[in-house]
Amino acid sequence: MAEVLQIPQTVQDLVQRSVPNGGIRLAAASDLGADRRYGEQWILLAGDRVLVCELEGGQANLLIDLPLHDISEFQIENLVGGAVLQAVVDGHRTDLIPYTNALAKRFANVRVQLDAAAKGKPVPEIAEPHMRCPKCGLVLGEETRVCPRCVERGAVLRRLLTYTKPYRAGLVVIGLLMLAATGFGLVPPALTRVLVDKVLVPKANAHLLPWLVLALAGSSILGTVLTVWRGRLAAWLGGRISFDIRAQLYHRLQWLSLRYYDRHPMGAIVSRLTQDSGGIQDFLAFGLPWIAGNGLIVVGVAIALVVLNWKLALLVLIPTPVVSLLIRLLWRRVHRAFHRFWHGWSRFHTIVNDSLARVKIIKAFTRENQEIERFRLRNADLFRASVAAEQTFATFFPIIGLAVGSGSLLVWYFGGRLVLSAPTGAGFTLGDLMAFLGYLAMLYGPLNFLAQSAQWVSRAMTAAERVFEVLDAEADVEEASAGIVLDRPRGEVEFRNVTFGYQRGQPVLKDLSFSVPAGTMLGLVGRSGVGKTTVINVLCRFYPIDEGQILLDGVDIRDLDLSAYRSLIGVVFQEPFLFSGTIAENIAYGRPGASLEEIMAAAKAANAHDFILRKPDGYDEQVGERGSRLSAGEKQRLCIARAILHDPVILVLDEATANVDLETEEQIQEALVRLVEGRTTFAIAHRLSTLRNADQLLVLEDGKRAEFGTHAELARNKGVYSRLLSIYRKTSRVRAVDG
Amino acid sequence: MGEREGVPQTKAAPPALRYLDPEEVRAFRGPDGSAYVTIRDEMTVIGARFMRVCPLTDPDRYLAIVGPDPNGRDFGLLRNWCRLDAASREVVAAELQRRYLHPTVKRILSVKDYYGVAVCTFETDRGVREVTLRDVQDNAIYLGPSRVLLTDAEGNRFDIPDIAALDPTSRALLAEIL
Repeated sequence: MAEVLQIPQTVQDLVQRSVPNGGIRLAAASDLGADRRYGEQWILLAGDRVLVCELEGGQANLLIDLPLHDISEFQIENLVGGAVLQAVVDGHRTDLIPYTNALAKRFANVRVQLDAAAKGKPVPEIAEPHMRCPKCGLVLGEETRVCPRCVERGAVLRRLLTYTKPYRAGLVVIGLLMLAATGFGLVPPALTRVLVDKVLVPKANAHLLPWLVLALAGSSILGTVLTVWRGRLAAWLGGRISFDIRAQLYHRLQWLSLRYYDRHPMGAIVSRLTQDSGGIQDFLAFGLPWIAGNGLIVVGVAIALVVLNWKLALLVLIPTPVVSLLIRLLWRRVHRAFHRFWHGWSRFHTIVNDSLARVKIIKAFTRENQEIERFRLRNADLFRASVAAEQTFATFFPIIGLAVGSGSLLVWYFGGRLVLSAPTGAGFTLGDLMAFLGYLAMLYGPLNFLAQSAQWVSRAMTAAERVFEVLDAEADVEEASAGIVLDRPRGEVEFRNVTFGYQRGQPVLKDLSFSVPAGTMLGLVGRSGVGKTTVINVLCRFYPIDEGQILLDGVDIRDLDLSAYRSLIGVVFQEPFLFSGTIAENIAYGRPGASLEEIMAAAKAANAHDFILRKPDGYDEQVGERGSRLSAGEKQRLCIARAILHDPVILVLDEATANVDLETEEQIQEALVRLVEGRTTFAIAHRLSTLRNADQLLVLEDGKRAEFGTHAELARNKGVYSRLLSIYRKTSRVRAVDG
Repeated sequence: MGEREGVPQTKAAPPALRYLDPEEVRAFRGPDGSAYVTIRDEMTVIGARFMRVCPLTDPDRYLAIVGPDPNGRDFGLLRNWCRLDAASREVVAAELQRRYLHPTVKRILSVKDYYGVAVCTFETDRGVREVTLRDVQDNAIYLGPSRVLLTDAEGNRFDIPDIAALDPTSRALLAEIL
């Protein structure tokens, strides 16, 4: 156990004194002191005693010392901003150790471990969830392991560049174009130099003037053409690479296990697919070429300056870091002001969205004037933020220009003196000076943005690393492996001593056994959170079970081919879910390629055909997010039609408790009866009729089988089921009256 | 389908809030160390918990007395617990201190920005703490023009009750992240 190693010596000494012959079995530190200020307390399990001590000024003070066998159970009381771990002694709860929200996960584990010890079991090893960067300790949260401070930019960049491999040729062309464009960019000041020294100052060689101007025009046009070419190519390449990355990412996301989705919030996953991959595209299409191109220009210009006059070059190059630092500071203030403005915008957006989407409620409560006032306040906020941002920009942009231009003042003065002191036509000429100033102007532009490119690179590398993190996530071994394909299974399902928990050591299903004969219906009954949905989850093999077996026609479902097995199962979930598309496509989702006649037959059986016909576009009606709105009852019937067409051997029914009118309810019921016919059905039952119709009922309590039998048997039993039944009766009576 | 032949339920009296007179309420430590509350000498709540009705906007006005279990029932409301007797007040204050762990920021000592993640050192009423804030704007709730609640990457919340009342250095540092 890693934490034992970090126990401070004073704490170890204290344990040694208090429990001389018991080793430390468990130790965890909290971030609050006994006075609930920030501090450090330790809870330890040493031998058969639970100790809590506070570390203050290098001293460990023993606060609590309880014999483990006096404690019946450990509990956590949630407080505001933290929680406290408690021991139950003689039925009373005693506070052991408080902690802030930061350590909630750690102490949830400690509780499980201590509970096991209190029950005489060995202390289970539970890994501390990673919240911090292992290298620098920066708090990262649970969603990611990528530390923006430690990410190895070089390695990530190299990996990113491997995506360019198929497009090597394009990359080489881009590089060449960049070099050529830089070369052409350096030509104009050199031509001005000739123009000034050979034509304008001596007022001679007039025949050169048109040619020189033509050459100037030519080099500018060529440079522009090359830059356009390069830009278009880079845009294509950047887009193409992020297309590849997105495709790879989405492919991986579809095949990751549900456990992965449990651990990562949906928002974080979506943002990797959208924002992070977008960030990579921006960087590859614009950032990287821009940095490389301008880097080349800076180098080229610096060389040109040194060649022209190295002393003068040193004079202007030495202060450039200072100037660019100054510029960076000024930019930061501008950025901050704009950042605030953008956030003002997004808040403004929220409030407008909020109130316009709920305009009906606002009108019903006649709150129009208050809403207008609320809007006025936000609008005023936005006004102030926009003024602040624009004014900061209006102030600092010219100042930045001034700072950039300051270098040229030095050149005008010292270069001017050089020109004056040099003999005409030799040494540092006016042409040299003009060329020098021309190059200098080219230098400062890129220089002040290059200062920002470090941050640019870092952001892009962090985004790339986050994407790679998903790509590297362990694929579900199960999803990939091939197995037995049953030929025309009958549909007999048996759970044999099944134990399963979403988290290790916290089983939700405990040693569950029952069997469902082929073609019969099992009703799952119990209070919410008792494990009904979990039975469905393990039946569908969304999660692998920890112990025991689930058998289909006597074959362990783990030995079956997963895709083939899942295609035997049809589900109708409580929340009817439709994809964006037509009604016909939605019904055919589980069986692509079904003919329209089959689709219609399924819809008819689901009592959906008639209402579909009444839609203006019939079976072509668009539904889903942007499509037409269907009522809850209509959606449910579409989902039933989908399941009928899918024609599963095993049917999973998570009954809806949606509020639909009685007639619709009757139609849904009818449809369900047709759907259930002849299939092995697992129904999470909320309706009395379902309970009555089920061939067998499984009553769950605390993840265990409490009762098993038919409705009539269990109702007579005066057990858990008959208690639940009386509650069901009462609520459905109220509903019937309300309806 | 449910049973439709049912009769309407008899109407029970609507639940009413119960306001307690501070004179009738006494809080003390029980033998097990938890808080006991006696109400009107009618009943004693063992292991009582005190919950602020509006912990942010009006923390010391309404206080609910709630039973010990997780879904504890509400035994009544105190309009102004400062009018309890001194001994009771002490118990209630200690229980509130135990329950409400959210710190109030008094000074901001430093702010370091790592590409969108800000590591700040706050001096709070509970001591000094290093706090990591990511996506600061998304995790800041403004309660009025000068009050902000910041939630850090570990789920802890920090209250800055009056930005204008902070010292200039703290304000400047705060401006860097907000």
